[in-house]
Amino acid sequence: MDGKRHAASFQQLEKLGEGTYATVFKGRNRQTGELVALKEIHLDSEEGTPSTAIREISLMKELKHENIVALHDVIHTENKLMLVFEYMDGDLKKYMDAHGERGALKPHVIKSFMYQLLRGIDFCHKNRVLHRDLKPQNLLINNKGQLKLGDFGLARAFGIPVNTFSNEVVTLWYRAPDVLLGSRTYNTSIDIWSAGCIMAEMFTGRPLFPGTTNEDQILRIFRIMGTPNERTWPGLSQFPEFKSTWQSYSIQPLGTILPQIDPLGIDLLGCMLQLRPELRISAADALKHPWFADLIGQSGVPVQQQQQSMTSQIPGQPQMMAPPYGQVPSQAGYGGY
Amino acid sequence: MVRATRNLRSVTNENDENTAAPTARVTRAKAAALNVDELSMPSKPLQTKKATGAVANATRKRNVLGDVSNVTKAEAADGKKPAARTGLVSKAAQPTGIKKTTSTRSALTTKEANKKVETKRSGPGSIVAQKRKMMKTKEPAAAKEVEAPEEGEPIRKKVHTSEQDENVQTDVTQEKPATKEPVASPGPEAAAPRHRPPTPEAAKILDSEDLDDPLMVAEYANDIFEYLRDLEPNSVPNPQYMAHQDDLDWKTRGILIDWLVEVHTRFHLLPETLFLAVNIVDRFLSEKVVQLDRLQLVGITAMFIASKYEEVLSPHIANFRHIADDGFTEAEILSAERFVLATLNYDLSYPNPMNFLRRISKADNYDIESRTFGKYLMEIGLLDHRLMGYRPSHIAAAAMYLARLILDRGEWDETLSYYAGYTEEEILPVVLLMIDYMARPVIHEAFFKKYASKKFLKASIIARQWAKKNAPLYGITNTQLTLDEVS
Repeated sequence: MDGKRHAASFQQLEKLGEGTYATVFKGRNRQTGELVALKEIHLDSEEGTPSTAIREISLMKELKHENIVALHDVIHTENKLMLVFEYMDGDLKKYMDAHGERGALKPHVIKSFMYQLLRGIDFCHKNRVLHRDLKPQNLLINNKGQLKLGDFGLARAFGIPVNTFSNEVVTLWYRAPDVLLGSRTYNTSIDIWSAGCIMAEMFTGRPLFPGTTNEDQILRIFRIMGTPNERTWPGLSQFPEFKSTWQSYSIQPLGTILPQIDPLGIDLLGCMLQLRPELRISAADALKHPWFADLIGQSGVPVQQQQQSMTSQIPGQPQMMAPPYGQVPSQAGYGGY
Repeated sequence: MVRATRNLRSVTNENDENTAAPTARVTRAKAAALNVDELSMPSKPLQTKKATGAVANATRKRNVLGDVSNVTKAEAADGKKPAARTGLVSKAAQPTGIKKTTSTRSALTTKEANKKVETKRSGPGSIVAQKRKMMKTKEPAAAKEVEAPEEGEPIRKKVHTSEQDENVQTDVTQEKPATKEPVASPGPEAAAPRHRPPTPEAAKILDSEDLDDPLMVAEYANDIFEYLRDLEPNSVPNPQYMAHQDDLDWKTRGILIDWLVEVHTRFHLLPETLFLAVNIVDRFLSEKVVQLDRLQLVGITAMFIASKYEEVLSPHIANFRHIADDGFTEAEILSAERFVLATLNYDLSYPNPMNFLRRISKADNYDIESRTFGKYLMEIGLLDHRLMGYRPSHIAAAAMYLARLILDRGEWDETLSYYAGYTEEEILPVVLLMIDYMARPVIHEAFFKKYASKKFLKASIIARQWAKKNAPLYGITNTQLTLDEVS
């Protein structure tokens, strides 16, 4: 896999995204014509290869799954490290902007995407990997309607019992309440919270909890999920960010806040958006939730073929092509890789 | 089920990030995870050392590989100009344009170097001092403290920038990637048949206990351990790699690993980091031929990489350079980093034996004593090359088995066997090697001292006494010679 190819094996096309530590280009394999995404990591830092890159490469080489973007190759040149990923047409954020009605997607598309998202998460967790940065920008979509997890820059392997980690993870809007409260012993459930936020966002076209600061984020969550207390969440007051001064909000029924979602969908969402991490549903169980019954039950086909039938349900196949990146307001980030 | 909270207070600092973890709930498992692992007020043994025979100790330590070079292969004899040596690791490790002065060779051999070492002790010493101060003021649950740049980050000047181009060292690329199978581990591996016994009732009950404990990730635990078992064979080094190392021998490796144990302790790193670092060293040496004067660079680079992978906050490169007595420049370490990573194909998915140890400890009621002894015994697997070819899970099982034997904790029942994944019969060959190691004279002093501390329950002292007394019962008799002499 490594070392056989050189940077010159790929024709560099347009830029897909840029960040402080990497730039992503579209690329083409000169020999096969295959499209790829080239993530260039700058190595000029005083501290050498970034730990994010070391983890990302090592983990991505393990995680081979159809709902996780594939890392084909690692090429190192004089002062750059180039990761060659399978090409995906766009990310979920751009997909929603381009295809949604004010960002909102059709229910059966959402169901397909959620199923694929949870399968990808489930695979990560079974392989003791936390993604830790799930958000629409990091979910890649291709024109076959496939969804794949990308950008494992914040991911890491965990042990059992789970070790303590940094709580500087996950983009604010998708960050789990336990992490917002300062927990450093979070586990697989933090990815599930993010998935719940993403589900709601696909239905409405807007982020569910668009907070501006850590404190604001916490309060936005409480406004809907209710302010917890020591009785509803034993141990709550021991979190570093606990405040006895929080305004006491009562629980809003999710079905009222999100009338777009059918009752079964609301039930699943409620299982994912549990404030207490230990009550949040696992990805494996979420995949068995009755909301997906009509996806799976339809034919009883194995998942592999199921995948095909799911893609064919997605309407407007021809329009599925993500818009050319140039036309989309460019965002910070690595284009999802 | 009473959740054990009793040990929380005694949580200490090798696991710095753990100590400060603010936890809302304390579960038995969490208590175990926190406390187990590491004890140690880190600097104790070092402090004592400093107080006592500073000269001798400093010499031994900083010299690391020096003492070897006197006795082993010819090129290493002191008289030679280091600059005449060929560099380890090929171009990548020694990029053109990196110049070195001869004085940077101090980590190897010369007496002058030793003197220099002494005067320099303020460096690492200050790490320690600073650390301790920090610890004193630190409240147990102050997460912020840990966020602060820690790992004893002394303010230090950058040395390498000022080094000028005297004595350009030419580097002969030596890539003799030993035509051997990189990961052929015939003996031990073959000896470990993999069969899963049916889940015993007791284990089912134990598993169900975890369902309300998020940290145990109960619904994924079995999948994960199965997966780790699948991964294991890929990360076992070639236990015969010394055959293709012209300039090294097992004794040299032992000295390096012993030094890494010390570095690891000084930096207050996670236990996982040490195991990963040694695995990186051995997998690299399985693939590449390394010159004696570059071995320490491989070691420090491996620790640097392992820290980046495992730690929440990895120490800065200057600390690594400094702890190796400025024997290598930062540029050299960075370039070695890339070469090592490329050689290993960036594959750091090493199933860490700590994971398996904790897993077994679950069936042992998270007994702190047996787990602490288990940790000591497991680290024998790092220092004794004869254990290199065994899977991490096998080493962990043997360590726990022997720990319980030494502490007289009862038989290896089916629950233990289930969680360990090994029967008594499968474990025994590894146990015998561990006893053999301990019955012989101490040659890895840093390792011995680390576990001789109170924080580690004097595990190394007690376990060795036990081994000396009981070795004959296991047919181990000829223990006068050191491991180095029999290797």
